[in-house]
Amino acid sequence: MRARRVIVSIATVGLLVQAPLIAHHGAAAYDVGKKVVLKGTVKEWIYSNPHCLLTLEVKGEDGQVVRWIVEGQAPNVVFPAGYRKDTFTFGDEVTVTVEPVKNGRPLGRILAAVTADGQTLGAASSGFTTQTLP
Amino acid sequence: MLEGVPQMRSLVLGILGVAIVFAGDGFAQTSSPDGWLNPDWNKPAITAANRKPAPRRSLAGMWAPAEGPGAGTQAQGVQLKPNNGRPENELPYTPYGLQLYRSHHALEGKDAVLPAQDNDPRNRCEPLGVPRSNHYNIRLTQFFQDEYKMAILYHYDNRWRIIWTDGRRLPKLVDGGVEIGGELREPRFFGYSVGRWVDDYTFESQTIGVMPDDRVWLDSTGRPISEKARITETFRRVDYDTLVWSETIDDPKVYTRPWEAMRMTFRLHDPRTDVQEYYCSPSEQENYNKLFGADAGSKGAP
Repeated sequence: MRARRVIVSIATVGLLVQAPLIAHHGAAAYDVGKKVVLKGTVKEWIYSNPHCLLTLEVKGEDGQVVRWIVEGQAPNVVFPAGYRKDTFTFGDEVTVTVEPVKNGRPLGRILAAVTADGQTLGAASSGFTTQTLP
Repeated sequence: MLEGVPQMRSLVLGILGVAIVFAGDGFAQTSSPDGWLNPDWNKPAITAANRKPAPRRSLAGMWAPAEGPGAGTQAQGVQLKPNNGRPENELPYTPYGLQLYRSHHALEGKDAVLPAQDNDPRNRCEPLGVPRSNHYNIRLTQFFQDEYKMAILYHYDNRWRIIWTDGRRLPKLVDGGVEIGGELREPRFFGYSVGRWVDDYTFESQTIGVMPDDRVWLDSTGRPISEKARITETFRRVDYDTLVWSETIDDPKVYTRPWEAMRMTFRLHDPRTDVQEYYCSPSEQENYNKLFGADAGSKGAP
Protein backbone atom coordinates (compact mmCIF):
# COMPACT_ATOMS: atom_id res chain seq x y z
CA MET A 1 0.00 0.00 0.00
CA ARG A 2 1.51 3.28 -1.02
CA ALA A 3 2.09 6.13 1.37
CA ARG A 4 -0.60 8.69 1.72
CA ARG A 5 -1.14 11.92 3.53
CA VAL A 6 -4.60 12.31 4.84
CA ILE A 7 -6.27 15.23 6.47
CA VAL A 8 -9.72 15.04 7.91
CA SER A 9 -11.53 18.21 8.76
CA ILE A 10 -15.06 18.78 9.86
CA ALA A 11 -16.98 21.96 9.45
CA THR A 12 -20.57 22.87 9.83
CA VAL A 13 -21.82 24.72 6.81
CA GLY A 14 -25.08 25.69 5.27
CA LEU A 15 -27.01 23.16 3.30
CA LEU A 16 -25.24 22.14 0.14
CA VAL A 17 -27.76 19.54 -0.89
CA GLN A 18 -31.41 20.34 -1.21
CA ALA A 19 -33.19 17.53 0.56
CA PRO A 20 -36.01 17.23 -1.98
CA LEU A 21 -33.48 16.25 -4.61
CA ILE A 22 -32.27 13.21 -2.74
CA ALA A 23 -34.11 10.37 -4.23
CA HIS A 24 -33.53 6.93 -2.86
CA HIS A 25 -33.68 7.52 0.85
CA GLY A 26 -34.31 10.46 3.03
CA ALA A 27 -32.11 12.86 4.88
CA ALA A 28 -33.13 11.36 8.23
CA ALA A 29 -29.88 9.41 8.49
CA TYR A 30 -27.66 12.40 7.67
CA ASP A 31 -26.21 15.12 9.82
CA VAL A 32 -27.57 17.68 7.42
CA GLY A 33 -25.38 20.74 7.09
CA LYS A 34 -22.21 19.12 8.41
CA LYS A 35 -19.33 18.78 5.99
CA VAL A 36 -16.37 16.43 6.24
CA VAL A 37 -13.38 16.65 3.90
CA LEU A 38 -11.71 13.27 3.39
CA LYS A 39 -8.33 12.78 1.75
CA GLY A 40 -7.72 9.13 1.21
CA THR A 41 -7.00 6.16 -0.99
CA VAL A 42 -9.66 4.54 -3.11
CA LYS A 43 -10.34 0.90 -2.31
CA GLU A 44 -13.49 0.42 -4.39
CA TRP A 45 -15.91 2.37 -6.58
CA ILE A 46 -19.23 0.65 -7.22
CA TYR A 47 -21.13 2.30 -10.07
CA SER A 48 -24.56 0.74 -9.71
CA ASN A 49 -28.13 1.16 -8.53
CA PRO A 50 -29.64 2.19 -6.26
CA HIS A 51 -26.58 4.27 -5.27
CA CYS A 52 -22.94 4.49 -6.27
CA LEU A 53 -20.60 3.67 -3.41
CA LEU A 54 -17.01 4.83 -2.93
CA THR A 55 -14.83 3.11 -0.34
CA LEU A 56 -11.85 5.09 0.92
CA GLU A 57 -9.12 4.46 3.46
CA VAL A 58 -8.47 7.65 5.37
CA LYS A 59 -5.65 8.15 7.88
CA GLY A 60 -6.46 10.54 10.71
CA GLU A 61 -4.05 12.80 12.53
CA ASP A 62 -3.66 10.09 15.17
CA GLY A 63 -2.38 7.70 12.51
CA GLN A 64 -5.43 5.51 12.65
CA VAL A 65 -6.75 4.38 9.29
CA VAL A 66 -10.52 4.57 8.95
CA ARG A 67 -12.44 2.93 6.15
CA TRP A 68 -15.13 5.31 4.89
CA ILE A 69 -17.97 4.40 2.54
CA VAL A 70 -19.64 7.35 0.86
CA GLU A 71 -22.51 7.32 -1.56
CA GLY A 72 -23.73 9.11 -4.63
CA GLN A 73 -27.02 8.77 -6.42
CA ALA A 74 -27.63 6.18 -9.16
CA PRO A 75 -25.40 6.24 -12.27
CA ASN A 76 -27.90 8.04 -14.48
CA VAL A 77 -28.32 10.74 -11.84
CA VAL A 78 -24.62 11.38 -11.23
CA PHE A 79 -23.62 11.06 -14.89
CA PRO A 80 -24.41 14.70 -15.82
CA ALA A 81 -22.21 15.87 -12.93
CA GLY A 82 -19.31 13.99 -14.51
CA TYR A 83 -19.18 10.79 -12.47
CA ARG A 84 -18.30 7.77 -14.59
CA LYS A 85 -17.63 4.09 -14.03
CA ASP A 86 -13.87 4.78 -14.02
CA THR A 87 -13.88 8.12 -12.18
CA PHE A 88 -12.25 6.40 -9.21
CA THR A 89 -9.93 3.41 -9.46
CA PHE A 90 -8.17 1.31 -6.85
CA GLY A 91 -5.25 3.14 -5.30
CA ASP A 92 -6.22 6.66 -6.43
CA GLU A 93 -5.45 9.45 -4.00
CA VAL A 94 -8.58 11.61 -3.90
CA THR A 95 -10.29 14.30 -1.87
CA VAL A 96 -13.98 13.87 -1.22
CA THR A 97 -16.26 16.26 0.65
CA VAL A 98 -19.15 14.45 2.28
CA GLU A 99 -22.14 15.00 4.52
CA PRO A 100 -21.76 12.35 7.26
CA VAL A 101 -24.46 10.24 8.84
CA LYS A 102 -25.76 11.18 12.28
CA ASN A 103 -24.82 8.02 14.09
CA GLY A 104 -21.08 8.64 13.89
CA ARG A 105 -20.21 5.77 11.61
CA PRO A 106 -17.76 6.58 8.77
CA LEU A 107 -20.47 6.91 6.17
CA GLY A 108 -21.72 9.88 4.18
CA ARG A 109 -22.93 11.22 0.89
CA ILE A 110 -20.75 12.91 -1.69
CA LEU A 111 -21.01 16.69 -1.93
CA ALA A 112 -17.89 17.18 -4.07
CA ALA A 113 -14.79 15.29 -5.17
CA VAL A 114 -11.36 15.97 -6.56
CA THR A 115 -10.17 12.97 -8.54
CA ALA A 116 -6.63 11.63 -8.81
CA ASP A 117 -6.05 13.61 -12.01
CA GLY A 118 -7.26 16.85 -10.43
CA GLN A 119 -10.75 16.97 -11.91
CA THR A 120 -13.28 18.67 -9.60
CA LEU A 121 -16.78 17.22 -9.52
CA GLY A 122 -19.85 18.51 -7.75
CA ALA A 123 -22.49 16.79 -5.69
CA ALA A 124 -23.23 13.23 -6.73
CA SER A 125 -26.95 13.94 -6.80
CA SER A 126 -29.61 15.56 -8.96
CA GLY A 127 -28.73 18.93 -7.53
CA PHE A 128 -25.69 19.52 -9.70
CA THR A 129 -27.39 22.21 -11.70
CA THR A 130 -28.00 24.47 -8.75
CA GLN A 131 -25.24 23.71 -6.34
CA THR A 132 -22.07 25.58 -5.67
CA LEU A 133 -18.91 23.71 -4.98
CA PRO A 134 -17.56 24.13 -1.47
CA MET B 1 -52.54 7.36 -38.98
CA LEU B 2 -49.19 8.17 -37.56
CA GLU B 3 -48.83 11.23 -35.37
CA GLY B 4 -45.35 12.31 -34.49
CA VAL B 5 -42.97 15.24 -34.33
CA PRO B 6 -42.96 17.01 -37.71
CA GLN B 7 -39.38 17.64 -38.76
CA MET B 8 -37.29 17.96 -41.90
CA ARG B 9 -36.50 14.33 -42.01
CA SER B 10 -38.16 11.41 -40.44
CA LEU B 11 -37.42 7.81 -39.89
CA VAL B 12 -40.08 5.25 -39.33
CA LEU B 13 -39.31 2.81 -36.57
CA GLY B 14 -41.25 -0.17 -35.35
CA ILE B 15 -41.26 0.12 -31.60
CA LEU B 16 -44.00 -1.51 -29.58
CA GLY B 17 -45.64 -2.22 -32.87
CA VAL B 18 -46.12 1.48 -33.35
CA ALA B 19 -44.75 3.48 -36.24
CA ILE B 20 -43.01 6.55 -35.01
CA VAL B 21 -41.76 9.66 -36.65
CA PHE B 22 -38.23 10.26 -35.47
CA ALA B 23 -37.12 13.84 -35.26
CA GLY B 24 -33.52 14.33 -36.24
CA ASP B 25 -33.19 18.05 -36.65
CA GLY B 26 -34.11 21.14 -34.74
CA PHE B 27 -32.29 20.24 -31.54
CA ALA B 28 -29.14 21.93 -30.35
CA GLN B 29 -26.31 19.46 -30.47
CA THR B 30 -25.25 18.28 -27.06
CA SER B 31 -22.32 16.12 -26.16
CA SER B 32 -22.64 13.09 -28.38
CA PRO B 33 -19.58 10.87 -28.28
CA ASP B 34 -19.78 8.43 -31.23
CA GLY B 35 -23.38 9.49 -31.77
CA TRP B 36 -24.55 8.53 -28.27
CA LEU B 37 -26.26 11.75 -27.26
CA ASN B 38 -26.12 12.76 -23.62
CA PRO B 39 -29.20 14.44 -22.14
CA ASP B 40 -29.17 18.21 -22.54
CA TRP B 41 -30.21 19.78 -19.24
CA ASN B 42 -29.18 23.30 -20.18
CA LYS B 43 -31.63 24.17 -22.91
CA PRO B 44 -32.36 27.85 -23.57
CA ALA B 45 -35.67 29.09 -22.23
CA ILE B 46 -38.62 29.16 -24.59
CA THR B 47 -39.41 32.77 -25.48
CA ALA B 48 -41.45 34.57 -28.09
CA ALA B 49 -38.37 34.54 -30.29
CA ASN B 50 -37.88 30.76 -30.38
CA ARG B 51 -41.38 29.47 -29.63
CA LYS B 52 -42.75 27.11 -32.27
CA PRO B 53 -46.39 26.08 -32.57
CA ALA B 54 -47.50 22.80 -31.10
CA PRO B 55 -48.27 20.03 -33.58
CA ARG B 56 -51.91 19.05 -33.70
CA ARG B 57 -52.91 16.07 -31.55
CA SER B 58 -49.42 14.86 -30.82
CA LEU B 59 -47.55 14.15 -27.62
CA ALA B 60 -44.92 12.04 -29.38
CA GLY B 61 -41.41 12.69 -28.25
CA MET B 62 -38.98 12.46 -25.37
CA TRP B 63 -39.93 14.71 -22.47
CA ALA B 64 -38.29 15.62 -19.19
CA PRO B 65 -39.03 18.08 -16.39
CA ALA B 66 -38.37 21.58 -17.67
CA GLU B 67 -36.74 22.68 -14.43
CA GLY B 68 -34.03 20.05 -14.64
CA PRO B 69 -33.49 16.41 -13.76
CA GLY B 70 -34.10 16.93 -10.06
CA ALA B 71 -37.48 18.55 -10.55
CA GLY B 72 -39.20 15.22 -11.10
CA THR B 73 -37.70 13.50 -8.08
CA GLN B 74 -40.56 14.44 -5.75
CA ALA B 75 -38.75 12.89 -2.83
CA GLN B 76 -40.78 14.97 -0.40
CA GLY B 77 -44.04 13.80 -1.88
CA VAL B 78 -46.21 14.62 -4.84
CA GLN B 79 -45.24 17.83 -6.59
CA LEU B 80 -48.16 20.04 -5.55
CA LYS B 81 -48.46 18.71 -2.00
CA PRO B 82 -45.03 18.09 -0.50
CA ASN B 83 -45.33 16.22 2.79
CA ASN B 84 -43.67 18.92 4.88
CA GLY B 85 -46.20 19.48 7.64
CA ARG B 86 -47.55 22.73 6.31
CA PRO B 87 -51.35 22.93 6.73
CA GLU B 88 -51.95 23.75 3.09
CA ASN B 89 -50.26 20.49 2.09
CA GLU B 90 -52.18 18.19 4.42
CA LEU B 91 -54.22 15.71 2.42
CA PRO B 92 -57.95 15.14 3.04
CA TYR B 93 -57.63 11.68 4.52
CA THR B 94 -60.57 9.52 5.39
CA PRO B 95 -60.16 7.76 8.77
CA TYR B 96 -59.05 4.66 6.89
CA GLY B 97 -56.67 6.69 4.74
CA LEU B 98 -55.03 8.22 7.80
CA GLN B 99 -54.71 4.80 9.41
CA LEU B 100 -53.11 3.54 6.22
CA TYR B 101 -50.69 6.47 6.10
CA ARG B 102 -49.63 5.83 9.69
CA SER B 103 -48.90 2.20 8.88
CA HIS B 104 -46.46 3.25 6.17
CA HIS B 105 -42.91 3.88 7.36
CA ALA B 106 -41.36 6.05 4.69
CA LEU B 107 -37.82 7.28 4.23
CA GLU B 108 -38.99 10.71 3.12
CA GLY B 109 -41.33 13.40 4.34
CA LYS B 110 -42.19 14.81 7.76
CA ASP B 111 -42.64 11.39 9.32
CA ALA B 112 -39.52 9.83 7.80
CA VAL B 113 -37.86 6.89 9.53
CA LEU B 114 -34.29 5.64 9.34
CA PRO B 115 -33.43 3.31 6.45
CA ALA B 116 -33.42 0.21 8.63
CA GLN B 117 -37.03 0.84 9.68
CA ASP B 118 -38.86 1.52 6.43
CA ASN B 119 -41.49 -0.62 4.72
CA ASP B 120 -41.64 1.08 1.33
CA PRO B 121 -42.55 -1.53 -1.32
CA ARG B 122 -40.16 0.26 -3.68
CA ASN B 123 -37.25 -0.99 -1.60
CA ARG B 124 -38.32 -4.55 -2.37
CA CYS B 125 -38.30 -3.60 -6.05
CA GLU B 126 -42.07 -3.84 -6.30
CA PRO B 127 -43.49 -2.08 -9.38
CA LEU B 128 -44.49 1.50 -8.59
CA GLY B 129 -47.55 1.45 -10.84
CA VAL B 130 -49.81 4.39 -11.54
CA PRO B 131 -49.89 7.00 -10.15
CA ARG B 132 -46.61 6.58 -8.23
CA SER B 133 -44.62 6.34 -11.46
CA ASN B 134 -45.59 9.97 -12.01
CA HIS B 135 -44.16 10.87 -8.63
CA TYR B 136 -40.93 8.91 -8.41
CA ASN B 137 -37.92 10.29 -10.23
CA ILE B 138 -39.80 11.10 -13.38
CA ARG B 139 -37.06 12.03 -15.83
CA LEU B 140 -36.64 11.21 -19.52
CA THR B 141 -40.12 10.05 -20.46
CA GLN B 142 -41.02 8.90 -23.96
CA PHE B 143 -44.44 9.11 -25.57
CA PHE B 144 -45.34 7.07 -28.65
CA GLN B 145 -48.75 7.12 -30.24
CA ASP B 146 -50.81 5.70 -33.06
CA GLU B 147 -54.51 5.82 -33.83
CA TYR B 148 -55.28 3.25 -31.15
CA LYS B 149 -53.20 4.19 -28.18
CA MET B 150 -50.74 6.38 -26.38
CA ALA B 151 -47.71 4.61 -24.91
CA ILE B 152 -45.73 6.18 -22.09
CA LEU B 153 -42.26 4.83 -21.38
CA TYR B 154 -41.04 5.81 -17.95
CA HIS B 155 -37.34 6.10 -17.29
CA TYR B 156 -37.32 4.49 -13.86
CA ASP B 157 -37.21 0.71 -14.03
CA ASN B 158 -37.95 0.72 -17.78
CA ARG B 159 -41.70 0.64 -17.14
CA TRP B 160 -44.35 1.43 -19.74
CA ARG B 161 -48.08 1.86 -19.85
CA ILE B 162 -50.80 2.11 -22.49
CA ILE B 163 -53.63 4.62 -22.64
CA TRP B 164 -56.18 3.41 -25.17
CA THR B 165 -57.52 6.02 -27.58
CA ASP B 166 -59.59 3.82 -29.89
CA GLY B 167 -62.91 4.71 -28.33
CA ARG B 168 -63.24 1.83 -25.93
CA ARG B 169 -64.91 2.67 -22.66
CA LEU B 170 -63.31 2.61 -19.27
CA PRO B 171 -64.22 -0.67 -17.53
CA LYS B 172 -66.52 -0.67 -14.53
CA LEU B 173 -64.70 -0.54 -11.21
CA VAL B 174 -65.90 -3.41 -8.98
CA ASP B 175 -64.71 -5.12 -5.83
CA GLY B 176 -61.59 -7.10 -6.63
CA GLY B 177 -60.79 -5.40 -9.91
CA VAL B 178 -62.76 -4.23 -12.93
CA GLU B 179 -65.59 -5.69 -14.97
CA ILE B 180 -65.11 -6.14 -18.71
CA GLY B 181 -67.79 -7.90 -20.78
CA GLY B 182 -69.40 -9.26 -17.64
CA GLU B 183 -66.14 -10.80 -16.40
CA LEU B 184 -64.06 -9.85 -13.43
CA ARG B 185 -60.58 -8.73 -14.47
CA GLU B 186 -57.63 -8.45 -12.15
CA PRO B 187 -56.27 -5.20 -10.74
CA ARG B 188 -53.06 -4.04 -12.38
CA PHE B 189 -50.11 -1.97 -11.25
CA PHE B 190 -50.68 0.41 -14.17
CA GLY B 191 -54.44 0.01 -14.13
CA TYR B 192 -56.78 0.29 -17.10
CA SER B 193 -56.53 3.57 -18.99
CA VAL B 194 -58.48 5.26 -21.76
CA GLY B 195 -57.88 8.70 -23.19
CA ARG B 196 -59.23 11.23 -25.65
CA TRP B 197 -58.31 14.54 -27.22
CA VAL B 198 -60.31 17.28 -25.53
CA ASP B 199 -59.08 19.68 -28.19
CA ASP B 200 -56.19 19.62 -30.66
CA TYR B 201 -53.62 20.29 -27.96
CA THR B 202 -55.12 18.75 -24.83
CA PHE B 203 -55.22 15.01 -24.14
CA GLU B 204 -57.06 13.62 -21.12
CA SER B 205 -56.83 10.13 -19.68
CA GLN B 206 -58.66 8.22 -16.96
CA THR B 207 -57.19 5.28 -15.09
CA ILE B 208 -58.91 2.83 -12.74
CA GLY B 209 -58.35 -0.74 -11.60
CA VAL B 210 -54.99 -0.15 -9.92
CA MET B 211 -53.50 -2.44 -7.29
CA PRO B 212 -54.92 -2.56 -3.74
CA ASP B 213 -53.56 -0.32 -1.02
CA ASP B 214 -51.40 -3.01 0.54
CA ARG B 215 -49.33 -3.28 -2.65
CA VAL B 216 -48.63 0.29 -3.71
CA TRP B 217 -47.98 3.76 -2.30
CA LEU B 218 -48.82 7.11 -3.80
CA ASP B 219 -45.46 8.72 -3.12
CA SER B 220 -42.13 8.35 -1.37
CA THR B 221 -43.47 9.80 1.89
CA GLY B 222 -45.87 6.92 2.38
CA ARG B 223 -49.07 8.62 1.33
CA PRO B 224 -51.59 5.93 0.36
CA ILE B 225 -53.54 5.12 -2.77
CA SER B 226 -56.17 2.40 -3.05
CA GLU B 227 -57.83 0.16 -5.59
CA LYS B 228 -60.82 2.52 -5.57
CA ALA B 229 -58.79 5.34 -7.10
CA ARG B 230 -59.64 7.08 -10.33
CA ILE B 231 -56.69 9.01 -11.73
CA THR B 232 -57.38 11.78 -14.21
CA GLU B 233 -54.39 13.05 -16.17
CA THR B 234 -54.29 15.99 -18.55
CA PHE B 235 -51.49 16.52 -21.04
CA ARG B 236 -51.52 19.99 -22.57
CA ARG B 237 -49.15 20.69 -25.43
CA VAL B 238 -48.48 24.37 -24.84
CA ASP B 239 -46.10 24.76 -27.76
CA TYR B 240 -43.75 22.57 -29.74
CA ASP B 241 -41.24 22.25 -26.88
CA THR B 242 -43.52 22.40 -23.86
CA LEU B 243 -45.96 19.97 -22.28
CA VAL B 244 -47.87 20.43 -19.03
CA TRP B 245 -48.77 17.15 -17.33
CA SER B 246 -51.44 17.36 -14.62
CA GLU B 247 -52.88 14.69 -12.35
CA THR B 248 -55.94 14.61 -10.12
CA ILE B 249 -56.66 11.80 -7.66
CA ASP B 250 -60.17 10.74 -6.74
CA ASP B 251 -59.97 7.92 -4.21
CA PRO B 252 -62.98 7.88 -1.84
CA LYS B 253 -61.56 5.00 0.18
CA VAL B 254 -58.54 7.04 1.21
CA TYR B 255 -59.38 10.70 0.54
CA THR B 256 -62.59 12.60 1.27
CA ARG B 257 -62.46 14.59 -1.98
CA PRO B 258 -60.56 14.72 -5.28
CA TRP B 259 -57.33 16.73 -5.20
CA GLU B 260 -54.64 17.77 -7.64
CA ALA B 261 -51.27 16.10 -7.12
CA MET B 262 -49.20 17.31 -10.05
CA ARG B 263 -49.03 20.07 -12.64
CA MET B 264 -45.53 19.75 -14.03
CA THR B 265 -44.01 21.40 -17.07
CA PHE B 266 -41.95 19.16 -19.35
CA ARG B 267 -39.49 20.10 -22.05
CA LEU B 268 -38.99 18.27 -25.32
CA HIS B 269 -35.61 16.55 -25.67
CA ASP B 270 -33.78 15.28 -28.69
CA PRO B 271 -35.36 11.90 -29.51
CA ARG B 272 -31.93 10.45 -30.15
CA THR B 273 -30.89 10.99 -26.54
CA ASP B 274 -29.38 7.92 -24.96
CA VAL B 275 -31.33 6.94 -21.85
CA GLN B 276 -29.17 5.39 -19.16
CA GLU B 277 -30.77 2.55 -17.28
CA TYR B 278 -32.25 3.40 -13.90
CA TYR B 279 -33.63 0.33 -12.21
CA CYS B 280 -34.27 -1.57 -9.03
CA SER B 281 -32.24 -4.77 -8.81
CA PRO B 282 -32.83 -6.97 -5.75
CA SER B 283 -29.20 -8.11 -5.70
CA GLU B 284 -27.81 -4.60 -6.03
CA GLN B 285 -30.28 -3.38 -3.43
CA GLU B 286 -29.14 -6.13 -1.06
CA ASN B 287 -25.48 -5.26 -1.63
CA TYR B 288 -26.17 -1.59 -1.02
CA ASN B 289 -27.98 -2.34 2.23
CA LYS B 290 -25.16 -4.62 3.37
CA LEU B 291 -22.39 -2.10 2.63
CA PHE B 292 -24.15 1.13 3.51
CA GLY B 293 -27.88 1.35 4.08
CA ALA B 294 -28.16 -0.79 7.20
CA ASP B 295 -25.30 0.96 9.02
CA ALA B 296 -26.32 4.44 7.87
CA GLY B 297 -29.79 3.88 9.21
CA SER B 298 -28.85 2.32 12.52
CA LYS B 299 -28.98 4.13 15.81
CA GLY B 300 -26.33 4.41 18.48
CA ALA B 301 -22.61 4.87 18.59
CA PRO B 302 -20.32 3.46 15.91
